Amino acid sequence: MRDSYVRQLRQLHTELIRMGAYCEESIDCAVRGLLCDDAGLRGKALDLEDAINLKQREIEAFCVRLLLREQPVARDLRQITTAQKMIIDMERIGDQATDIAEISAFMAGSSVKSDIHIADMAASAIKMLTDSVDSFVHEDLEKARQVVASDDIVDALFSTIKGELIEIIMGDATKGSDCLDLLMIAKYLERIGDHAENIAESVVYWISGDAVQ
Amino acid sequence: MKRRILLFSCLLATISIILTGVLFQLAAFHSYFEKTRQETVTEAGLIRAAANISGDSCVAALDKADPDLRITLISPDGEVIYDSDISYGRLDSHAGRPEFVGALENGAGESTRLSSTFGERTYYYAVLLDSGNVLRAARTVDSVFSSFFQILVLGALIAAIMTIAAIIVGARVTKSIVRPINQLDLDDLENNAVYEELSPLLHRMKQQNDIIAGQMAEIKQKQQEFAAITDNMREGLLVLDRDAYVLSSNKSALRLLDARTDGPMRMNALAFNRSQDFLSVVEAVLGGAPAEATLHINGKYIQIIANPVWGPEGAPPAGGMGAAAGVGGTHSPGGKASAEGASAPHGPGAAADTGATDPGAPHGPGAGAPHGPDAGAPHSPGAPHAPDAAAGLGGTGAAAGALLMLLDVTEREDREKLRREFTANVSHELKTPLTSISGYAEIISEGLAKQEDIPRFAQNIFSESQRLITLIGDIMLLSKLDEGEKDSFPAREDIDIFALAEEVAQRFHGAAAKKGVKISLAGSSTAIYAVRQAIDEMIFNLIDNAIKYNREGGSAAIIVREADGMAVLSVADTGIGIPAHEQDRVFERFYRVEKSRSHSVEGTGLGLSIVKHAVMLHRGAIDIKSDGSSGTIITVSIPLPGA
Repeated sequence: MRDSYVRQLRQLHTELIRMGAYCEESIDCAVRGLLCDDAGLRGKALDLEDAINLKQREIEAFCVRLLLREQPVARDLRQITTAQKMIIDMERIGDQATDIAEISAFMAGSSVKSDIHIADMAASAIKMLTDSVDSFVHEDLEKARQVVASDDIVDALFSTIKGELIEIIMGDATKGSDCLDLLMIAKYLERIGDHAENIAESVVYWISGDAVQ
Repeated sequence: MKRRILLFSCLLATISIILTGVLFQLAAFHSYFEKTRQETVTEAGLIRAAANISGDSCVAALDKADPDLRITLISPDGEVIYDSDISYGRLDSHAGRPEFVGALENGAGESTRLSSTFGERTYYYAVLLDSGNVLRAARTVDSVFSSFFQILVLGALIAAIMTIAAIIVGARVTKSIVRPINQLDLDDLENNAVYEELSPLLHRMKQQNDIIAGQMAEIKQKQQEFAAITDNMREGLLVLDRDAYVLSSNKSALRLLDARTDGPMRMNALAFNRSQDFLSVVEAVLGGAPAEATLHINGKYIQIIANPVWGPEGAPPAGGMGAAAGVGGTHSPGGKASAEGASAPHGPGAAADTGATDPGAPHGPGAGAPHGPDAGAPHSPGAPHAPDAAAGLGGTGAAAGALLMLLDVTEREDREKLRREFTANVSHELKTPLTSISGYAEIISEGLAKQEDIPRFAQNIFSESQRLITLIGDIMLLSKLDEGEKDSFPAREDIDIFALAEEVAQRFHGAAAKKGVKISLAGSSTAIYAVRQAIDEMIFNLIDNAIKYNREGGSAAIIVREADGMAVLSVADTGIGIPAHEQDRVFERFYRVEKSRSHSVEGTGLGLSIVKHAVMLHRGAIDIKSDGSSGTIITVSIPLPGA
């Protein structure tokens, strides 16, 4: 009985890692699809969205089942409630990766993206996500706290990109459409950073029981 | 144990207190009653004596002497004549009373009766007076019950106090009994002289301990042996349980996967690597199908071969086996298949991206193409990321665990890459002169060329053919060098490397003069034991490069010397140099430094490759020094004979 409970908790952990990996892959594909103008990668990001949604529903049902049947307490309870929070953030990340892939399909061939810091911002957002999933996988409290602290970098890059886009539009109004799309993408990346931060906060709560201020 | 001892001792104390109280009470009552009886008998005797002397009427007077004593005077027919308690006449006839009957018959009779309330007990003693009347004396005492109830409260109090005392004392006693048991020295079981009764138990425990310790030592030794074997393997080994948690891993596996080891005690295999290929392999193998993939981790290619492990209860299901055999079969070429698969599905634009994070992406331009290194994953090629419900939540995987073998195939992958590049380069280099030759020949044969142009065209055809011949000659030489010295080369001989260098330098007289490069040779004659043709080609190519890639009016200095048992030949030029990041690559076939800059210079790109192979043939060493802009020094060292 208890043995199967422990197994189920471990399964939950494994599945969360899987879902995290899907998210990483999805955002990676979306960003490379944008930067390299690769329709195949964009398509892959869209496909991964389905896998992420399916995984979210599976994990959600699994968590509810665990809560009802096992009535866990303390750290186990936190693990399950944390999982419930994390999958919501992960699912949102998947959605945003899809949005990025969809938008970047409209701006294939545009050169504006190489004139701004969008690649840097994508790299920062992906790093935040990777680190937050890493902190979860390795139960690394320190790393999770670092991720929470590093959200400022992505936020600052968003402001930078905004400024750059304004200058480009002022210089050449024909690029306005691309610039607006890029602003959306930058915003999505910024949101992904926020979700990664949420995941890291969940990890902190799970491990230490302390809510991040 | 403590509780039990305490409980029993308290129970014992309580029962003994109660029993003692009851029995004591009974004994005390018995002796009290006996005393009362004696007194009654004595008094009755005294009164009888008095009545016999002074007549029955004195009875009423004597009666006052002892108020507790009830005296009755009964006529022989049973009529009560006098009673000290109740006025006579009211009482029934006493004719049937046993004491009266006894007195009439024997002179004295007695009886004991309980009163109607059972609270009292009355002792009657009757004697026959000389007058014929019967004198009866009676004394009443509390019955045993009522006397018991009278002291009940006090008794209960005493019992309670005694019980509390018993608990306290019992607790102490229990403690003192148990303490030695608690303080048993479990490490040295046989030297505990606590209770004799425990020694068989302790002895047995000691035996068990010895057995367990022996078994543990055996297991530990086996583990160490296993660890020693696996830790010294170059291949990584991972054993997973059915939930993908690592049961056992060796050092190589952790190194190859670049794994962190500071995580939780029992690691999830997915914590090592979260790439889709690794996920697919783990999912597939825990689903019961063998799987294979090539991961790209930190610039290294790691091939993973995974096989499911079946528990004792479950042989592989028939379907699973079939699928497994199918998958294994299609991927039997192993690394080769997966390496090619890795780049196949990509369009030409993504060809350079040999699966860094996206090998075998079936969504690439070649969707529907082979699945790449994602070998054996249970997905259908169209939907590779549909999570496998069977291996996922809720369901248990088909396999009881999995064995993952990790191989570092970086070298193989690199060689593959080189081979592919080489083939592509050779084709390209061969095609370029042939295209020119074909073009000129076509113009001439179509009669489109003017007569005066034909010699020039013929000259071009000739020079392009010469270039082809040189190229093919170089390639043949290289392949000879690749083959080693077995049959391709004449036997080794003693060569004076200085004289040979001088001879080769002579051949460049014309070319050097044309470019205004001054060749100088310094050093002394040094004998080596080597293949003349190979050393000749080596020096030729070094000097050729020193002139070709030199500036107008530059210089090329050749120095031959001996050092540390080696013949050292260095060629220093004042040419364009080789940038630091390209110095490793110049020995690759067809590699040419900064193509745009050097393409003006005729060359096959094989020169330094030939040099390197010639040096390798003689187990020598090669060194390149250049600041990337002003000259290059290439030093080759060949071991001296007998060194």
